[in-house]
Amino acid sequence: MTRALVILLALSGSLTSLQAAQAASSFEIADATREAYSRINPEVTREQRAEALRGRSLLRQSWVVPPAQDIEIAGLGPLYNQLSCLSCHPKNGRGQPPENPQQAMRSMLVRLSLPGLDSHGGSLPHPVYGNQLNEQGVPGVSGEGSVRVDYREERVTLPDGETVSLRTPRYQFADLQYGPLGGDVQFSPRVGPPVFGLGLLEAVSDQTILQLAEAGRQQGVNGHPNYVWDAERQRPAIGRFGLKANVATLRQQIAGAFIGDMGITSSLHPKENCTAAQIACKQSPSARQPELTDAQLDAVLGYLRLLQVPARRNADDPMVRQGEQTFIAIGCAACHAPVLTTGEFPDLPALSGQTIHPYTDLLLHDMGDGLADRRPDYQAGGREWRTPPLWGIGLLERINEHSYFLHDGRARNLTEAVLWHGGEALPARQRFAGLTAQKRRAVIRFLESL
Amino acid sequence: MKNLRLLFGLIISLSAFPAVAKEKLTVLTAYPEDVVSRFETAFERAYPDIDLVVLWRMPHDALPYLSQPKQGGVDVYWSASLGNFMVLKNQGAWQKLGISRQGLADQLGALPLADPDGFFCATETAGYGFAVNPAYLQSHGLPTPKTWQDLADARYQGHLALPVPSRVGFAPMMIDSVLQQYGWDQGWAILAGIAANARLAESGATFITDSIGSGERGIGPAIDFFTASAIANGAPLQFVYPEPAAYSPAHIAITAASQHTDAARQFVAFVLSDAGQKRLFHPDIRKLPVRAAVYADKPDGYYNPFAAADLHPVVYDPVHALPRLALNNALFDRLFTDHHPRLQTLWQKLRTHEAAGKDERLAKIRQLLTAVPVDAKTAENPAMQQIFADRSTDAKAEAKARMLEQSWRQEIDSRYAEAEHLLKQLEP
Repeated sequence: MTRALVILLALSGSLTSLQAAQAASSFEIADATREAYSRINPEVTREQRAEALRGRSLLRQSWVVPPAQDIEIAGLGPLYNQLSCLSCHPKNGRGQPPENPQQAMRSMLVRLSLPGLDSHGGSLPHPVYGNQLNEQGVPGVSGEGSVRVDYREERVTLPDGETVSLRTPRYQFADLQYGPLGGDVQFSPRVGPPVFGLGLLEAVSDQTILQLAEAGRQQGVNGHPNYVWDAERQRPAIGRFGLKANVATLRQQIAGAFIGDMGITSSLHPKENCTAAQIACKQSPSARQPELTDAQLDAVLGYLRLLQVPARRNADDPMVRQGEQTFIAIGCAACHAPVLTTGEFPDLPALSGQTIHPYTDLLLHDMGDGLADRRPDYQAGGREWRTPPLWGIGLLERINEHSYFLHDGRARNLTEAVLWHGGEALPARQRFAGLTAQKRRAVIRFLESL
Repeated sequence: MKNLRLLFGLIISLSAFPAVAKEKLTVLTAYPEDVVSRFETAFERAYPDIDLVVLWRMPHDALPYLSQPKQGGVDVYWSASLGNFMVLKNQGAWQKLGISRQGLADQLGALPLADPDGFFCATETAGYGFAVNPAYLQSHGLPTPKTWQDLADARYQGHLALPVPSRVGFAPMMIDSVLQQYGWDQGWAILAGIAANARLAESGATFITDSIGSGERGIGPAIDFFTASAIANGAPLQFVYPEPAAYSPAHIAITAASQHTDAARQFVAFVLSDAGQKRLFHPDIRKLPVRAAVYADKPDGYYNPFAAADLHPVVYDPVHALPRLALNNALFDRLFTDHHPRLQTLWQKLRTHEAAGKDERLAKIRQLLTAVPVDAKTAENPAMQQIFADRSTDAKAEAKARMLEQSWRQEIDSRYAEAEHLLKQLEP
């Protein structure tokens, strides 16, 4: 079966039979426990598994402020958000926003930029604060400030009379230690997204992504890839990672998170995350150069690439099946592509040719004013976001003990998340709102089966 | 459809507003993120006027950090490192906790839960025992072990994973607990039998859980919370506490240099409160509270060390163990790690002959394989203990330690050679 046919069949609704016909990927695991986001594919060599376990340790590691005796795990800061990858990706899953202004952002951060583009067409970092507000500083270095969030509720009445309250976040910067941000600052709050299945998404070919864009146009949506700067290969490439698909490879995404979130340098980001105005930051010692060695970076990469994804559950439940059919019928699957096949992936052949069910097209879509952050990033506009994968979404509450969705966690459940869709997704959202309550519940039940 | 209109965009006040001044409290710990994040969140909710900043260091790195002037700006040290708390107490690094201990026991059998001078106290404890894969045991027809002595039984040969104490952080006290429970000579003899049955593991406790969970081995001596957490998260494992169980407590102290004593006391009191102690029940933490009353609300099947101690009083005292842990580690490596394949071959032959029948030489061979080159009295000698405790930081101590180890090697090699010779005599 050709890749294009897989995609078109998926979008045309022949999904269930299609899925049944596909051999199960070794990257899908029937596991609904609280460890379901943390399973390493067992069908790998002993060496690959050993490297993945080393990567798992690093991902779980709380990092140490230098100077330190434990040089292998030292390098936190001078400016940082959290001590550990797991802070924002608990159990490899999703972070959550503060509930009120008294609470700090513990698994969430705020990206910053000014209008304009950097030399490669990406967002233009703030000259003083960089491209992310680091709320923490090592001893002797002031954290950059903090962001407080509160919410305003607005009740939405659906056509059948059911009401849903949606909350709009309101952000305030506080205790800014390096001067005002300025009136033209662009900012984008982000909750830490899940980190499983990323190897599979990396193995989806450019050709497939372009075919998905074309197939989407036939379905009435206008998704497009984000062409970004691939810093390792020194050339433009299709972006896959980050909430705006602004990073080309998983290795770069990992290295970006280490420097941006924890202030840990690597060969891809050899300089500490201090701007010229941050004197104490610049004078603060590094642990070594780089703080995250290439071997460590590759171990984390190996771990994330080998993480399995939870298989669907209760697929034969009549309500789930009804919800799945409705999900396709109202147009959700136009962007949340149910079935993809990975391409050739020489870096890790185990990822090649896998039939996967990520429910994403890896494309950018206009999601409307309601979700807009108004912070462009390469070709991603201020209203655009990459379609987030939905696999494993039904286990979120069990594993991460909350049900906050969307890029900033404003949605408190899946229904709210759907009702926040706008822009290109507005017709699908309106069709969802126009369903009977029973059919809406079926769609949610389907999502909970993922 | 006016109610279906999408809502408004982001709202921001770009004129940064001054936040209500919070008192900054710095806590140094070696707890993993799963523990830290839950206490951070809960404490923030209880005390929104305190800004909790967490720093992380392993115990060996925390000691010099807390010994520097102003103690690195740390207000509270919270870690499972009794040695650090005692050394730093002697340096005058702590101030009195000054909190109510109502509802908190000072002892769990022989295990002290509070510094007698009030400078630090236990906040939780963890038990040593056996991570067990019940399906593995069933498929191999093996009974569930109940004691350390059980693990030395020949039927468990090839079915254990044993952490090496010089490489795995929790293991030194676990190994010493066997020596305290059974006595020096018998303890090492039991450990020799266990080592003969085991694959030696030089990675951490998650490796033990991985190894047992995957069915690579069926039993792994370990500290409880890794396995208990894995079980709570769905792993088909079991954790067996030997009777009596031994425990490793974690402690908390307020630094002498702290300028935030009230906030520090609030944090300590929160960790020890009902609410704080019940946090330890979380599936991702699974530590054992030191406030006995909270066990009334424990999850089903949760181990209660206070109830267990009523039946089998705790005999293990980690304070007694601390000075000799480095010596133990060196002995373990010279006895077992250095000779492991040879050791296993010798034990396999010995057991084969023992199963086949009696021969007076077998007792001698067993004695040769279980003897330890340092007697109990020497092991208690503070000068001897200090040589090994100081070897990583003192070149002279390292030289002395190497000389002693060389003599042990010769003695062990001689014994093994004699055992090999006797076993050869027994061959038909």
